[in-house]
Amino acid sequence: MRGAIAVLCSVALPALADPAVPAFIDETATSGLSTVYEGDWDYMVGGGVASFDCSGDGFPELFLSGGAGPSALYLNRSTPGGPLSFAKTEALTMDAVLGAYPLDIDSDGVMDLVVLRQGPNRLLRGLGDCKFGDATEAWGFDGGDAWSTAFAAIWEKGRDWPTIAIGNYIDRAAEDFPWGSCTDNWLHRPEGRSFAPPIPLTPSFCALSMLFTDWNRSGQWALRVSNDREYYKGGQEQLWHLDPGQPPRLYTEAEGWKRLRIWGMGIAAADVNRDGYQDYFLTSMADNKLQFLKDPASGKPDYADLAFKSGVTAHRPYTGDDLRPSTAWHPQFADVNNDGRLDIFVAKGNVAKMPDFAERDPNNLLLGTADGPFVEAGDRAGVASMGIGRGAQVVDLNLDGLLDIVVVNRWTPAEVWRQTGESAGNWVQVRLAQDGTNRDAIGALVEIRRGEAIERHEIASGGGHVSGSVGWLHFGLGEATSAEMRVIWPDGSEDPWLTLPAGSFQILRPGKPAEAWSPG
Amino acid sequence: MSIDRRQFLAGSVALLASPALAADRAELCRGALIDWHRLVLELVRHTATYSPPVASRAFAYVGIIAHECHVGLVPGPVTLAGQVHGLEPLPAPAPGLDPAAVLDAALGKAMVDFFGNTGPSGQGAMQAMARKLAGEIDRDLAPEIAAASRAHGLAIADHVWAWSQSDGGAVVENLGFPYDYTFGEDPSDWVPTSDIRIQQAPLLPNWGTNRTFAMPEAAACTVPAHPAFSTEPGTAFYEAAREVYDVSKTLTDEQKIIARFWSDDPMLSPTPPGHWVSIILQIAERDRLPAERTAAALAVNGIAVADAFIACWREKYIYNLIRPVTYIKRHIDPKWETLLITPPFPEYPSGHSVQSGAAEVALTAIFGENFAFEDATHEDDGLPVRRFANFREAAEEAAISRLYGGIHYRFACDEGLVQGRCIGAHAARLRTFA
Repeated sequence: MRGAIAVLCSVALPALADPAVPAFIDETATSGLSTVYEGDWDYMVGGGVASFDCSGDGFPELFLSGGAGPSALYLNRSTPGGPLSFAKTEALTMDAVLGAYPLDIDSDGVMDLVVLRQGPNRLLRGLGDCKFGDATEAWGFDGGDAWSTAFAAIWEKGRDWPTIAIGNYIDRAAEDFPWGSCTDNWLHRPEGRSFAPPIPLTPSFCALSMLFTDWNRSGQWALRVSNDREYYKGGQEQLWHLDPGQPPRLYTEAEGWKRLRIWGMGIAAADVNRDGYQDYFLTSMADNKLQFLKDPASGKPDYADLAFKSGVTAHRPYTGDDLRPSTAWHPQFADVNNDGRLDIFVAKGNVAKMPDFAERDPNNLLLGTADGPFVEAGDRAGVASMGIGRGAQVVDLNLDGLLDIVVVNRWTPAEVWRQTGESAGNWVQVRLAQDGTNRDAIGALVEIRRGEAIERHEIASGGGHVSGSVGWLHFGLGEATSAEMRVIWPDGSEDPWLTLPAGSFQILRPGKPAEAWSPG
Repeated sequence: MSIDRRQFLAGSVALLASPALAADRAELCRGALIDWHRLVLELVRHTATYSPPVASRAFAYVGIIAHECHVGLVPGPVTLAGQVHGLEPLPAPAPGLDPAAVLDAALGKAMVDFFGNTGPSGQGAMQAMARKLAGEIDRDLAPEIAAASRAHGLAIADHVWAWSQSDGGAVVENLGFPYDYTFGEDPSDWVPTSDIRIQQAPLLPNWGTNRTFAMPEAAACTVPAHPAFSTEPGTAFYEAAREVYDVSKTLTDEQKIIARFWSDDPMLSPTPPGHWVSIILQIAERDRLPAERTAAALAVNGIAVADAFIACWREKYIYNLIRPVTYIKRHIDPKWETLLITPPFPEYPSGHSVQSGAAEVALTAIFGENFAFEDATHEDDGLPVRRFANFREAAEEAAISRLYGGIHYRFACDEGLVQGRCIGAHAARLRTFA
């Protein structure tokens, strides 16, 4: 192992000081959010939330999946720094929704929505003012008829239309004997300005999360797939080559890919050790995984799991009286306390009533530290809900620079927490915008200088547990009063380093100065 | 035999297509036994509590239930009550009961009893299986016969369940990993081998104190002391570790397949004891064995393997020996990686070897010497079918697979087989037929 791991080992030393614990207040009751993720066996996974601005005011709206019940789009009526307030609309009242991801598919500057369902998936075209129309057929998208549970999207080089990967779960008609019935995942590549018939990503192993990632900084995106070992046979975690114009093909053991078999439920990526390569947090049951590339120079996708040494196994409840192993779903990296270190939020909840696993299973908020392992703070921060969590988003809902959290729960209403109080540090939020195709610059890289190191963020669409966001990208700065940042755009062009003032919102466009923006 | 959905459905169709005439009652009984055991293999795989020792216990009790259902109803089978420890005489059947309905009811109840902690898919599968089989089996039975038969089956299951609660293995917490554990401090002592947080204590350290089934006590079959621990090249212990290391560097493709074929990882397979159950089911299907013959084989093999885990675990925690992966990283090559994942408990003797030796003796006693068979247990997981000339050959391959996998020293495999054969002989002496 080279530098990547060496840096992390220094992270694993005893903490010199506890990180600042952010304070959240539960505003579920007053927020206006009321959607419940409902349903029986065929909704035991799923339960996502999509966050995006469709009203043009910069505040993120929320789309909550309802499972067997109705989904709903909530307009964000919050004011900067004020209580979280949402107005429920009838715009996206659909049934059989497991999750959704925002994606401006046709690059018209109006956000569209990819909706994953029990049954045909739908592409909803944004019409402006938070109105949507079904464009599934118009865009030639074969929604299929499956139990869709994962999503990722990327613009392949030279294409003006996205490539979408859909992950599917077990055959829902196989309730009497579901094991070994994983159905095909699909790769929807563009055909002009619509989608070609999907390519089956066989073998498929009951995917619960997918993410395009440039794992080796080759400039070529690959597809990571996290799979649920509960139902596959002969399966494992997967990494697919996605070479331009070539059929997708799996990375093999000969290429360095190591077999890993977990109850894969969610993927989050971030440059935790600031070596410029993405690290991956994989949720599962009992221990979770935090993977670091062992030797970037080798060119092999061979990862070390350092979750234990990093204090992020999150394998059992840390509060309450239930000591049984945990069940983890949506993971997300974010600097929740603005101290300049990445933290990890994990939504937790029993599948249903699995007696071997904790039934009172609190969400995790694992705070990164400068000199030691991550520190659990979910209970002290006030987000240790015992709800049966599934999808989630960590996002600034009231645009005050403090990240808020929304979690979709099975059988009980979604919960939302507003972060309040004094921030432990400064922050900056940026939004990427480019003309032409791929307006939100999916596939761009944002680099931020952290002392001598550079932390590299991939701007992805996908991952998590059937939940995703497009909008402001939040960076904590600690005591720094400005951020040194640059963007490498999806076409490979590199902007110069920018100095962005702390406490500001900035719109970044290729080759142009940053454009300050203010909410309200 | 892998318990895949395709085979399950195929079996179901075959049963549905069978005319439920009196002459076919035996076929219904045979089908119910196979189908329920297919489901057991799947439940073991998908219920987190079912580490190999825990699985072996369930297989034994389910096998005994299946066997006892035939006692007094078909010619030949005799009860195990009085032969295995603590099993009191079971309820006697009334005349005229239907063996298929008895067996179906008993096994359905056993699923609920022994796998009540499975997840929603397992619960659904159990209910679906119960509905399907009851519909087929009861369709042409007089209602009063069906009801009386099912009542008898439930009584047998309840009797065995009650007996099982006092064996020391009924309650498994935290997936079998103790919340507190005091480690040894000798350089030869076992230490955790993974960075999985829940496995920082060893699996089921008290399993060796459980009540045995057929062997007089866990100490009735032991292993000799292993070579004296040493880090000096040239000593027996060092050379045993060195062999594990050297073998790992020269593994052939065939040896890798063997290692993976017998790996039988919990939660990813039916577990090692389930592998032997799978072999029995494949033989039963190939040879169209009557249900009572298959049930007796499942019972005796189950008893042998369950006893093997008890006796083996007793030895493991007496010797508390360091795993090759730990020793080799400390003393030979700090960057060494094993082909297989090292299980989270002490090394000596090899559990695979002990239980395979026990199964070998039990099954040889039932099916005979040089009984050839094919083993497609992992076909759905992408591993090829393997062929064996007899049970000894299979057991020996299972044992050496652990050396190939980097999991065990050779002496742990060799002595494990010897211990297992001793244990299996006790089970083989059980009388299951008049």
